[in-house]
Amino acid sequence: MTESRAPAVDALEPWPDTVDWRPVSPKLITVELITRVLWVVVLLAGLGVGYAFTPHWGWPTGMGVVVLYAIWRSIVTVRAVHAWGYAERDQDLLVRHGLLVRRLSIVPYARMQYVDVTAGPLERAFGLATVQLHTAAAASDARVPGLPPGEAARLRDRLTTLGEDRAEGL
Amino acid sequence: MTTTPPPLTAAEPEPRRRLHPLSPILHGAKSIAVVVAALSWQTLSQVGLERFALVVLILAAGVVVFSLIGWLTTGYQVVGRELRISDGLIWRRNRAIPLERLQAVELRRPLLAQLTGLAELRLEVVGGGKTEAPLAYLTVREAAALRERLLSLAGRAAAVPLPADAVPVPTLEQPLLRVRNRDLVISQLLTPQAFFLPVGVAFVIMQFVLEGSWTFVGIASTFTAMAGVLLQPVRRVLQDWDFRLARDPGGRLVVRYGLLETRSQVVPLHRVQSVGVTWPLLWRGQHWLHLRLDVAGYAGEPGADSKRSDRLLPVGDLPTARALVHDVLPGVDLAALATSPPPARARWLHPFALRYLGAGLTDEVFVSRWGLLTREMNLVPYARLQSVRVVQGPLQRWLRLATVYADTAGGRSGQARDRDLHEAWALAEQLADRARQARGPAPVRP
Repeated sequence: MTESRAPAVDALEPWPDTVDWRPVSPKLITVELITRVLWVVVLLAGLGVGYAFTPHWGWPTGMGVVVLYAIWRSIVTVRAVHAWGYAERDQDLLVRHGLLVRRLSIVPYARMQYVDVTAGPLERAFGLATVQLHTAAAASDARVPGLPPGEAARLRDRLTTLGEDRAEGL
Repeated sequence: MTTTPPPLTAAEPEPRRRLHPLSPILHGAKSIAVVVAALSWQTLSQVGLERFALVVLILAAGVVVFSLIGWLTTGYQVVGRELRISDGLIWRRNRAIPLERLQAVELRRPLLAQLTGLAELRLEVVGGGKTEAPLAYLTVREAAALRERLLSLAGRAAAVPLPADAVPVPTLEQPLLRVRNRDLVISQLLTPQAFFLPVGVAFVIMQFVLEGSWTFVGIASTFTAMAGVLLQPVRRVLQDWDFRLARDPGGRLVVRYGLLETRSQVVPLHRVQSVGVTWPLLWRGQHWLHLRLDVAGYAGEPGADSKRSDRLLPVGDLPTARALVHDVLPGVDLAALATSPPPARARWLHPFALRYLGAGLTDEVFVSRWGLLTREMNLVPYARLQSVRVVQGPLQRWLRLATVYADTAGGRSGQARDRDLHEAWALAEQLADRARQARGPAPVRP
């Protein structure tokens, strides 16, 4: 358990020599940014209405905070999308994501209960889809967003095939 | 799992069965008690006894009619390796429960059911957020026979189903242990709630002596508050009364307990997802501990722990627990589980409790322990692992630490908190690897 392996370079890059990480589509950045812009517009409109009714220095300050926060989040988003990654090993699926809180999930195909492929309107417009693998444990999260539909379908089919091969569920 | 039933094949001409004819009355009685409680004493004094009785009577009649309709439309049958339950008058629902997904079966007998010789059969299935389709009520004999049949169907690979009317042979169970009621009562007296009682009484007396006022409302509300505080230990005593464990000839675990509501639960051993050990602070003088058994299906049930049936040992000493754990998780010795602590720099995150944190890999289980005052330990067999996660928060990144979670279907994850990053990766890989080996190359169903 304590045997020391080759020193891992980065918290997001375990076993760099054995695992072939695949990135998600960079178009996901655009999707996330558009979602954020929409939210910012809604918030700014709300704050603007407030300012129109009761002029107070608090409203513009709120707008400034929202804009600054959105800009910061957008910068983080670019890096966060690059941090998403998944890898298919012969027995399990690896998913890593997160910048502030870094997470890595290892989900064996044999534990798969079902696979979800979802795509919202914005995702569809950019030709993206999300694949999520569900196990019997509520805590396991293996969600891969920002996949091109072809890749999503391939991953889904591969997961279900492998899951059936090794099916035992519990 | 809502499907329309396909036409019955000729091979399985089993009739649809009804629940016991008394069940609508029992269901009704429960609702009436709720109604009366809701109407409360205040209403009684306002409208007078006659009207009150009339209202209750009308409501009772309505409830019984409702339950009766429910009873008339509810039926169950075993088809192949499925249990089919249909109910509902307007919204018909047919539900097929695949028996290979059966995790545990529980036979519950609330007080009224005990008086009438009936029982409720509850099935635990994975994926159901809550207990699927409790069959309430059947006669005890019917329920026991059905349980035996379902379990034997669930345990075997597709094979010839038993004839429907097979009377189960009175099985010889091998008793494993029995918890003395004296220990149970003492253990619940050694809880913070029970310790609070004398303090509360002294406080109330002090107040009355000083203030010199004995109002009825004051006394009543004080007593209500105390009853509320004491409810949990009292409920535990009532629930875990006469706790017995046995093993049936099929190697399954049979748990029986309860005073007002008796429960008898059968858990196949390969359905045990994890075992939790707790050493509460106040029990340390007695060297007692508590064992918890996690079965998939129970953990999803929200709310009060009283509803859950996850006890393996309500109270006991280490030798008892050791023997029990050895039975439930073969090859595991509770007294010889070595864990290693996280690195010393994790002290920044756990100034006091660092000494009690630990994780370790044995040949069969992943062990993790934590807790300064109430010490806890979690054992997850590798074969039951659902997924492995490594999570690193910002503070942990600064200290080059990470937490490894071993998720089970029972809801409680084994967690190795704040391990050195390299060690965490190695641990995660080891866990994934051992889980793979424990699952074996081909699906084997014991």
